[in-house]
Amino acid sequence: MNKKEKGASRRDFIRGTATGVGVGALASAGVFSYSPWRKSMFPEVIRNQVDIGVCKSVKVTNISETSWFSNSDLIGDIKKAGGLLVNQYSFNWPPFCDGGDLAKGSYESSMAKIKEFLPDRLDEAWEFIEANAVHPENAGGFSCLVEVEDLDGTIHKILFDTGWSYKWMDECFKREGIDKMLANGEIEALFITHEHFDHFWGLPVTLKYAPDIPIIIPDTFYNEGKQYIKDCGHTGTVTEVGSGVNKIMPGVASLKFDIPIICRVFGEQDMFFNVKDKGLVSVTGCCHQGIIKFVETAYKEIKYENDNLFGLYGGLHISPFEDWDPKYDDLVISLGKYDFDRIGCNHCTGIVTAKKFIETGYPVVKGTARFRSQDTAYLGNGDTIEFKS
Amino acid sequence: MAEIEKTEIYGTGYLDKRRLIPRFRGPLPAIVNFIFLAIIFYATWWIFQDPRGLMRMYTPYVGYMYTRWLLVTIIWVAYIFSFWPFRQDWLERTHPVIKGIILTAFTSVILIVLIKGFFHGLLGNYSIAYFSPEQLEKIGITSFYALEYSSLAILMFAAIASWLGPAWVAAAEEAPWQKMPQPVKGITIWITTFFLSVIIYFVTMHPHMGILYYPWQEFTSIAPPWWESFANTVSGNFSIGWIMCCTVVVWVYETIWERYPFSLIRNSILRRFSAFFGIIAISLALAAFLYFAQELVWGEAIRGTRREFSPDWRWLHVGELAIFWLLPVLWLKFYHGNWPNRFSTPVNVVLRTLITIVAAAGFYWTYYKTAHLFLGVQKGFSHPQQFPMIPIIWFICIMLINHWFMDNWPGWKMKERGVDATEQAIEKARSEISWSPTLLIGLVAGVVAGIVLYFCLIYALPTLGEWLTIYPK
Repeated sequence: MNKKEKGASRRDFIRGTATGVGVGALASAGVFSYSPWRKSMFPEVIRNQVDIGVCKSVKVTNISETSWFSNSDLIGDIKKAGGLLVNQYSFNWPPFCDGGDLAKGSYESSMAKIKEFLPDRLDEAWEFIEANAVHPENAGGFSCLVEVEDLDGTIHKILFDTGWSYKWMDECFKREGIDKMLANGEIEALFITHEHFDHFWGLPVTLKYAPDIPIIIPDTFYNEGKQYIKDCGHTGTVTEVGSGVNKIMPGVASLKFDIPIICRVFGEQDMFFNVKDKGLVSVTGCCHQGIIKFVETAYKEIKYENDNLFGLYGGLHISPFEDWDPKYDDLVISLGKYDFDRIGCNHCTGIVTAKKFIETGYPVVKGTARFRSQDTAYLGNGDTIEFKS
Repeated sequence: MAEIEKTEIYGTGYLDKRRLIPRFRGPLPAIVNFIFLAIIFYATWWIFQDPRGLMRMYTPYVGYMYTRWLLVTIIWVAYIFSFWPFRQDWLERTHPVIKGIILTAFTSVILIVLIKGFFHGLLGNYSIAYFSPEQLEKIGITSFYALEYSSLAILMFAAIASWLGPAWVAAAEEAPWQKMPQPVKGITIWITTFFLSVIIYFVTMHPHMGILYYPWQEFTSIAPPWWESFANTVSGNFSIGWIMCCTVVVWVYETIWERYPFSLIRNSILRRFSAFFGIIAISLALAAFLYFAQELVWGEAIRGTRREFSPDWRWLHVGELAIFWLLPVLWLKFYHGNWPNRFSTPVNVVLRTLITIVAAAGFYWTYYKTAHLFLGVQKGFSHPQQFPMIPIIWFICIMLINHWFMDNWPGWKMKERGVDATEQAIEKARSEISWSPTLLIGLVAGVVAGIVLYFCLIYALPTLGEWLTIYPK
């Protein structure tokens, strides 16, 4: 072989190799990447279960699940304000309003107008708010009372979120006797799941009856939220909870998730209860992290009775505005494999979702559709659900 | 000869035969054009899309729909209709800025007529209600979601059209109508690809729309969709994923691969079929790999979860990842003369592929690190307000307008007509590759190396993912 032929041969080899690399890589990608063999490369799930103890029972009374009354108004406001990323404190929604236009407000300008009324003169505060806020009539709120029974029969009461509208929440508190429980010191703590308007902004209503109540918040609150707690006249302790399992009392723990949420909110925490001989109960505010993610995390990180998922209650954040997407059907379909014994859902779950749960045959505890709750598929305002051994 | 002259009354062959001469030396033309495109991009993004801007169409689906269809209509004007009814001499003599404004306005009129007239007006009012926001509102869907749902259906149609339109030109070589004059050729290919898009839409997207409404529309669509058990989701994002890969691979094949390796097949019918279906096969392999890559970096998808761990978003992200690759591919072709060119075609193709993949990875990292700071999108990978396909395709549309309608102004100028660049590239590849035992040995060695490369990559991906962490856990 002469020099010229050697050169040609070398070039042929390189050209063949270059072509072959592409063929080989693409063929491997096509054959292996979505094959069952690929699963051999996934790490095994390691369960690092924290023992949180056990409790005897959990009872949840729904004080209010109707966070707003018109999807159309809420979505319309968000859209007109500039979308899902706009800071909630700037909307001029109640109570943070200064008489300006939609999305032109601020925490400081609004608080200057109502601070003098907080937390005792809420009627006067609401009078100002009704005259100056965008859609004050649309504000409702999410809040429920969680009653945990120890093995020795002692009952612990925790207020789980505090709603939105001062007027609506005060009515709801009175309806369920929460005002008296707060005033009597029966409720041990206020647990705020996240900073959203409909879970947190009704804070003065709680503080009106119990200004020194201990408050537990995720450590992802913005400065406005922390300042609001002070400006509302809170005199008790504030605990900021970080990531990981946070033990609250025997059989009760919370988990916080660092997730971006609409209206410039970040992070949500929810609660778990380990009911003796029965299993794990999850109580959520909005569950922005997704209920499956919440349960999968619990599976990995918390030790619970019989390895059984016993119950589920709260807003599951699937179709909060009664919108739909086939990916929500994925959740409806796959929730079955977790085999919950009792499910109570409302708020941001979506009535369509609740109906699909019922049609699929899941053990949904229906409600009574009273006090402005819209459908019996929801465990609505004034309804209760109990998980006991 | 007479027939060729007749076809060239309009812009047939204009894009292949024009010679673009840089106005400045070195990398300056590309830098100038980047600055120019970035200004146009950001100004138009603010006017049309940005949630904090003027029209705020990034809802996201309304903005997404217009972006996808803008891409398709630009392709129709330049690629399918060869600029008809604009004449060749007008294309050659008109100042690029004037040309860009007129052709963009012409494309926009087609876009508006198509969406408002064809989808909202005709199909939405007289055929399938979900194409019309007004019809959806009438039956009780909230105004915001009525517009979002109809936009989703319309943009899903565009995803298919943006693959089939260019595929008929690049892979099927406009056959069997390649010798017809414009606008007959354009209309014929347009009708054919539109017809195929309708069929593929009904098979791949309509089942998604059928279960978007409560209860599932079982009498009018397959529910649950046929792909459920394979894709681990009922969402049409599965179809979006592989179809987006098809869209991207068509352009990879047409630009940095210079139609290699199917261009080596001399039998026209075999070559066209091989290229058309080969692109689909490559796209499916790419889609599978990109899904697997996410599993390796983030962990196995869990059905029913939200955001990064849900299979439906993973399939959508397959398409998004592919689009991240398309931008450097087109940039290399349009503004760097498809560099490198000094080696044989297969070596050039491998080098360009590697360069653009590395550039895409860097672009991906930069986008997710910074986009929320200036585009008005949400921070994070998966969120209703985080659709990287919208700004990227918006930028690609502006690149296409600059390259096709404006002859790369201001960094370049159109000098005179030259030889057909595509034909020249094909001839070069054919002259370089001739069958020999050494070529076969090289091919076999290359296949083995490709397999080894693939397995090395998938073993390295979990570590690479950790190393390139964008958002700490």
